[in-house]
Amino acid sequence: MTQTRGFRTANRRYKFLFWPMMAAYVAIILGAKFLIDEDTAPVWLNAACAIAATLPLGIVLYAIRRQTDETDEYTRLRYLKALRDAGLITAAITFLVGFLQIFDVLGSVDVFWFGPLFFFAFGISRLTNCFGATV
Amino acid sequence: MKNIIRILRTEKGWSQAELADRLDVSRQSVNAIETGKYDPSLPLAFAIARLFGRGIEDIFDDGLEATEAAE
Repeated sequence: MTQTRGFRTANRRYKFLFWPMMAAYVAIILGAKFLIDEDTAPVWLNAACAIAATLPLGIVLYAIRRQTDETDEYTRLRYLKALRDAGLITAAITFLVGFLQIFDVLGSVDVFWFGPLFFFAFGISRLTNCFGATV
Repeated sequence: MKNIIRILRTEKGWSQAELADRLDVSRQSVNAIETGKYDPSLPLAFAIARLFGRGIEDIFDDGLEATEAAE
């Protein structure tokens, strides 16, 4: 595990990665949407756009991991509890959607939406923690 | 675990945010420790004790001494 650096340093290092990566993500998504015609573009170009859009998100995930390692102990506990809750909520909804599909109740659902679902659940769990309900 | 951090902090005239800055933890951490919702690790407890110039046992009370005395 990375050495704890303290709340301020961990926050600064997180933001140092988070904001540029989010800017890059938005630029790549907008660029791909307006500059590439998905229907006529070659598969390699579509694949390249998909990978390019995923890279900044991967780096943000790394930043989250690093921040939970480096921040102070109580903040780490709150983050890890929120990540746990988000994981459990996402898993529960994934199972529900999967079974609904197996039993022919639900049609196809883009796998993509489970990512935003995880972060939505993470945000809700963080809010719950802020109000002192879980920690 | 009970503690007297709030009293010591008030004596110094520090806000929770100020104490959090000095300990390099979040304000929520200070609040959770003060209200007894969270017990700090030994390194953080030592840092708190050092900051106030007291011993750990002067600041934190696990209530065991009172229980043992009653027995």
